[in-house]
Amino acid sequence: MADEIKSGMHCAEFETLLFDAVDGTLVAGTLTRFRTHASGCASCGPLFADAQAGQQWLRSLAEVEPPKNLVHNILAKTSGVEERYQEQVVERKPSRFALALGWLQPVLTGSFSGIWATVRQPRFGMSVAMAFFSVSLVMSVAGIKVNELAKVDLRPSALRRTYYSTQARVVKYYTNMRVFYEIESRVRDVQRATTPAESRPRERERSREPEKEQRKENNTSGRPSKGQERNGDLNQYRNNDRNGDQNYASDESEPVVAQAGEARKAREFETGDVDGSTSLCSDVTRRNV
Amino acid sequence: MEDAQVVNLIVRRAVGGDSLAWEDLVHRYNRRIYNICYRFSGSGEHADDLTQEVFIKMYKTLSSYDVERGAFMTWVTTITRNLLVDHFRKTKQDRVTDSMDAGTSPEEDSLTLSDQLEDGGPLPDDLQRKRQAAEMVHKGLQKLSPELREALILRDLQDMDYREIAVALKVPEGTVKSRINRGRAELARLLSRTYKQVI
Repeated sequence: MADEIKSGMHCAEFETLLFDAVDGTLVAGTLTRFRTHASGCASCGPLFADAQAGQQWLRSLAEVEPPKNLVHNILAKTSGVEERYQEQVVERKPSRFALALGWLQPVLTGSFSGIWATVRQPRFGMSVAMAFFSVSLVMSVAGIKVNELAKVDLRPSALRRTYYSTQARVVKYYTNMRVFYEIESRVRDVQRATTPAESRPRERERSREPEKEQRKENNTSGRPSKGQERNGDLNQYRNNDRNGDQNYASDESEPVVAQAGEARKAREFETGDVDGSTSLCSDVTRRNV
Repeated sequence: MEDAQVVNLIVRRAVGGDSLAWEDLVHRYNRRIYNICYRFSGSGEHADDLTQEVFIKMYKTLSSYDVERGAFMTWVTTITRNLLVDHFRKTKQDRVTDSMDAGTSPEEDSLTLSDQLEDGGPLPDDLQRKRQAAEMVHKGLQKLSPELREALILRDLQDMDYREIAVALKVPEGTVKSRINRGRAELARLLSRTYKQVI
């Protein structure tokens, strides 16, 4: 910029006044001299025009909106009071639901107060949510789409086909589920685990069998033991009773029976009844007496 | 009570440990500081980080603020400017790399990356023109030297008085005026070139 005087103003003075001129703070006399110089000087004129244009461009820029979480982040990093800030935000901007609730409050607290009290229970909300979840699950499994409900074919044959296909799909779905497999394998494991547990009582019974046998041997009355009666093992009792005489008679350690056997043999010998079928009853009767 | 007095009272309460007063300060100045950072750095992401840094520094040094030395806004602007200069020095190498990678087509120059990606639907002509113009100015501002840029932002975008700017930038008032004049003229020349290329 040449330091030349045009209209009573140096270019250096022009540059000094440029800021105030663009901002519109020059007094009237100085402004006239300034404008005269600008119109006559080849370098100062365009400078003034550019400065004005630059200011206009910048003033056209709008303010930028900061991110929504900026204040929250700042408070979290400085005083750590973001919770209260959030509460304030909630208080400042009530939700649409809260507004609607405010409108409905007089109605609900009036005639429907009892129902409203039930509805407001968290349990009720959970029940509704679970019901909704179940229905949506069933619908998704059954392949029913809400937007296709209008197109559903309600003819009996179509319904039957839908029923069978749905049933097949459900069965396939559940049998293919991993949980299902796991439960099945667990049940098998439990069954396997319980099988040897059941055999133990049998072993115990086996171990008790010698005792029972000994008791039977000691039981000279020929009657079944109480346990046998309780178990209702009548056949065994009958067999024992039927063959007992012979068995008992063959055992020498049973003196009474042995004596009875000997007496019977002697009597058979005397009467000639070798079969001994008639004398058996009399022996038993005698024993009981 | 004047605004400056109210702010001084809030600052005093915040220095005394009143968290509500601190929240009030954050609410009052976050928008302004974010805009300075955004226009200087040219990126919303950087502006977000820088604004948070400014407030962290403010929080730590709030007790050092002296009412006698100047307005609270000038003090805040000084902190912001110092952090911006630090950030500018740190990211100098990144910017060199970015400028080497950047395309030179006039269309790319006139639109932001987000605009290019969005390739928005049929916007009304006026709205689109305004958006493009705003992007052009924003990009043009980034091409100025940091000294000119900061002076222009504080004067023409934040409406600060040149005396306050001189205090905030720690330079004589004449220098502030000169930088503002040069900055405006340089920006206008840059934009006129870009505008001709776009048209």
